[in-house]
Amino acid sequence: MASKKKNLRLNSVSRGAEAVIYIVLGLFSLCCIIPFIFVIIISFSAESSIRAIGYSFIPQAWSTDAFSYAFQKLPQIWRSYFNSVFITVVGTALSTLMCALYSYVLYRPDFKFRGFFNFLSFFTMIFGGGLVPTYIVCSQVLGLSENYGALIVPLLVNPFNIIIMRTFFKSSVPLELIEAATIDGSGEYNTLFRVVAPIAKPGVATIALLNALVFWNDWYLSLLYIKRNKILQPLQALLMELQNNVEYLSRMAGQMGAAAINEAAKMPTQSLRMVLVVLIVVPIACAYPFFQRYIVAGLSVGSVKG
Amino acid sequence: MSRRLPETNPSARPNRYRFSKYKKTLVLLTMAAPTAIWLLLLRYLPMGGIILAFKEYKVNPRNPSFISNLINSKWVGLNNFKFLFMTDDAKIMFRNTLLYNIVFIILGIIIPVAFAIMLNEVTKKFVAKAYQTMMFFPYFLSWVVVSYFLNAFIDGQYGMITAMQRAAGGEMTNWYTTLGPWPYIIVFANLWKNVGYTTVLYLSAITGIDSTQYEAAAIDGASKWQQIWYVTIPNLRTMICILFIMNVGKIFNADFGLFYSVPMNSGALFPVTQVIDTYVYRALMVTGRVDMSSAAGLLQNVLGFVCILTANNIVKKIDADSSMF
Amino acid sequence: MKKILAMLLALVMVLGLAACGGGSDNNKAPDADKPADATPDDGAANDAPAEPALDPVTLRVWFHGSTVSPEASAKVMESVNAYLQDKINVTLEPIWGTWGDFDTATVTALTGGDDVDIYFTCNWSSNEYNSYARDGYWVKLDDMLPTYGADLLTTIPEGIWECAKTNGYDGMGVYAVPALKDTATQNCWDLNGTLLAELGYDVDEFVEFASMNPDFYYSDEFEEVLQKAKDAKGSSFYPLVGEPVVFERIATGTAIVTGDLNGAPVLSYYYDVEHPSTDIGSKIVCKYATPEFKKFAERTYYLAQKGFISPQTQNVDTANNYREACALTGDYLISSQSYAFGCELDYSRARGIDVRMIPTDAPYMDATSGQGAMMAISATSKNPERALMFLNLLNTDPELMTMLNYGTEGYTYNKNADGTISFIDEVRATYSPWTNGMGNVRQLPPTAEQGVDFWERFSAYYDSAEVLPYGSFILDTSELSNEATALANVYGQYGFQLMGGATNPDTVLPEFLAKLEEAGIQKLLDAANDQLSAFLAG
Repeated sequence: MASKKKNLRLNSVSRGAEAVIYIVLGLFSLCCIIPFIFVIIISFSAESSIRAIGYSFIPQAWSTDAFSYAFQKLPQIWRSYFNSVFITVVGTALSTLMCALYSYVLYRPDFKFRGFFNFLSFFTMIFGGGLVPTYIVCSQVLGLSENYGALIVPLLVNPFNIIIMRTFFKSSVPLELIEAATIDGSGEYNTLFRVVAPIAKPGVATIALLNALVFWNDWYLSLLYIKRNKILQPLQALLMELQNNVEYLSRMAGQMGAAAINEAAKMPTQSLRMVLVVLIVVPIACAYPFFQRYIVAGLSVGSVKG
Repeated sequence: MSRRLPETNPSARPNRYRFSKYKKTLVLLTMAAPTAIWLLLLRYLPMGGIILAFKEYKVNPRNPSFISNLINSKWVGLNNFKFLFMTDDAKIMFRNTLLYNIVFIILGIIIPVAFAIMLNEVTKKFVAKAYQTMMFFPYFLSWVVVSYFLNAFIDGQYGMITAMQRAAGGEMTNWYTTLGPWPYIIVFANLWKNVGYTTVLYLSAITGIDSTQYEAAAIDGASKWQQIWYVTIPNLRTMICILFIMNVGKIFNADFGLFYSVPMNSGALFPVTQVIDTYVYRALMVTGRVDMSSAAGLLQNVLGFVCILTANNIVKKIDADSSMF
Repeated sequence: MKKILAMLLALVMVLGLAACGGGSDNNKAPDADKPADATPDDGAANDAPAEPALDPVTLRVWFHGSTVSPEASAKVMESVNAYLQDKINVTLEPIWGTWGDFDTATVTALTGGDDVDIYFTCNWSSNEYNSYARDGYWVKLDDMLPTYGADLLTTIPEGIWECAKTNGYDGMGVYAVPALKDTATQNCWDLNGTLLAELGYDVDEFVEFASMNPDFYYSDEFEEVLQKAKDAKGSSFYPLVGEPVVFERIATGTAIVTGDLNGAPVLSYYYDVEHPSTDIGSKIVCKYATPEFKKFAERTYYLAQKGFISPQTQNVDTANNYREACALTGDYLISSQSYAFGCELDYSRARGIDVRMIPTDAPYMDATSGQGAMMAISATSKNPERALMFLNLLNTDPELMTMLNYGTEGYTYNKNADGTISFIDEVRATYSPWTNGMGNVRQLPPTAEQGVDFWERFSAYYDSAEVLPYGSFILDTSELSNEATALANVYGQYGFQLMGGATNPDTVLPEFLAKLEEAGIQKLLDAANDQLSAFLAG
């Protein structure tokens, strides 16, 4: 007991250094979170206040108009939330699985075609056919149009993640472990899921987090592939549409007649923008700790166990 | 598939070594297959479109499908690339793109590595988690939102700094026409947005380090600083090299939002904010030519490819294990 | 590595060829009979629309600027399709394009050859009518119109057809059906009458003085009234609000050259602001190289230095939002506006102030205003005749237009006793296509706010517009893409801020002109004037 305590002391940085760490990281973290707080404040600012004094940390008046406007304008918002959650969950699971499988193969030095598959994914990181040819292959060859598949499949693979994942495997999974498992008669899939995956958990969680963000934030796929069957629209796409329509409406109200002008006068254009950011960021930010648990779980392992 | 394997695998025990080796390869191939098929269909199949960069794209109304249009359009050689080098602005945009990216790459390694190591030394886990969560937040915000935030400080009418200057009765700065501070603003904004993200990558790599290495070092009497230097950093080396190589590959690509939205598209700032991507964007707003945008993209990619191969070879010479291929 | 690369390339080629083989096969069949259908002999064609034995056909139509929920669309389409099947045996599958997604999504769909029959198009978004007509995306309508669009030909005035003509893939002709909407341009100063009265002015007298006064912007009175407003409302009040690009056109008396660089205007055309159809020597000039522009830029810079123009107005990204915000709160004295019929009343009501529109020119028509909203038949359409029959019906059948544009009675609106309609606001909010984007809006019933005779007054105003001497001229810059890209970037660096008074023309204007020269403005000008003389000659 006593020796452990001593070890602990020996194994952490000095008090002074730790204080410096706290301050430096604290300041930077603050720097990172303030803009988001600012966004929340604006989303609750009265439109009149923004028009009078601009964006400010201390608005003249508070209001929830922009939130109620968004919800009232978008009866389909809950459905879109569902779509986004569905796409994100399915997409993250599939893409993370595919990424783990593929990068595991790339990591295995005894795999014959390692070089080929490595290059196969790497090359696409640099070169691509461009938007239109990809669109044609997806919509006309693969039938990814007006369905959930169109919102998931095109984002399933990211060569960047494959390389990161492979690096995780390389740096945290000793090859001896796999050899040992093979000698014990464990099948390849068994080795991957039972032996390798638990060790690579932080890496898998990181990749899952990155994937989840991509699926959650995407609106572009919906724009390209969901045109008629708009009940499939994810949240981002819906909000994007609302914002563009609102901005356009207020700009063009003059040409569009009385109804549009009256409508424009009521619209919380500026705060609405921030409301949309809040509506998008908050759910994914809430999911963040779930991933973080695995990423930070093993943290400070050196000093605690030391 | 995975359920069947444990049954069949015991057959690996007999001495039919060759057979088992084929089978292993086969099983590993099934692992690679989903992604490989995806890559072939969604990445390689569309690559035929690259020839767009060398064609003047026109519709063939007799058979207006993309492929027939592409085939029937006339070859124009390198004509589609010309617009990038038309005027003296070309020099400025290539210079800006390269210089900013070099700074981003260097600082983008040093700071996140330092932060990840520092986070690892924070003994109160709750604090470490809180810091790390907060650092990730900028990644959620789009550049447009960031530009609003920056604007709240430096706007010429409403900005908080402007208001202070006005209250103090001093000269009000028009930030969006003053070149001086912008290189710093851009570099800071880029770091601010991406450091949290990259830190997570390094942090997970640190988390994955086998703790016995630290134990061994501690037994040898290594101080914390020595442990960082002799255990943590060598273990991060692979990740550092890989991220470095990948970033070098994008050295001719600029983050559009950072250079377009953050300076509010202000013309007076072009000398320090014009990069290849913004130039191409403005150019294409006018012409709407898909062939020219393909050409610009292809040029960036080819140059990036050359850079990435160079970087990979350099890394390979220093540390073969850390290279990408 | 080399081996792998070669393998990959071979793979791509094989896959690519396979796909391309499939692609062309698919398209051959409908292709073969298309020309035959497009030019049917007169006898059979004349009864074609009335023929009851039309095959059932589904048409996909891509609208623009819509706010339509899936439920509302399904509900309205029920009635629309019942009606359409009865009339021309067509089932409509609308694609409700919105303002935001339109440019990217349609451009991709068009380039990708999607199965869409009719696209909204115009000359102000990147879904540019003229360039797409030139590149072969639209079906030329001239031969089909007498047969399948006879009513259309008579309903839409000759002048607007004239503006819809463009030099497309199959030669000069009409490649889209223009909408009969607000088809004229008239620039105005937008005056806050309430504030002006507070400053002690006689509003009517001031309006009288400023109306059609080309020197108004340069007059001492202009500066004086701005100064008074600034003194009265404090130093953070900026009395002159608006879009610098519009200031420039008003203050120099120039019109937009249709086909000028999109979002980066570099060309001008001077016209007679009082009698727009008078020929004062048709010539296209570089916008920034004229003495008029120099005078304007110097004046604007002077006004900005005096603190009359907000920094918000001087930035291309914020100018518009700022103008809206100021307009809605009445926080301005003078602003700029492109006039829409009857808008001053709407504005007064919405802003709660006395809004006055001061015209700076007579309403005029050119290709820019004539091509504001159009419907084009895609070259990929398998049923171009039926698509035209649909457009014909949409523009000449009030019932169909009302249903598609306003929704169905009892669902989105109710009829009033005097023949006007009142919207059921909550439902209308979920079914709001862009009214003017659809076609002939003069068929619509007036709303209660508009008043019974709204459309008569509307028509009278727009029909009075004179056509500019170069009328339907459209500049084609497709041969000068390289110059265009360079010019657009030069404009981005200097143009907007110069027009907003943010930079000093004494130092910046010469630099700007030199850079324009380097980027090839002269080549563009020469081409433009050659095209214009050819147009005027032929």
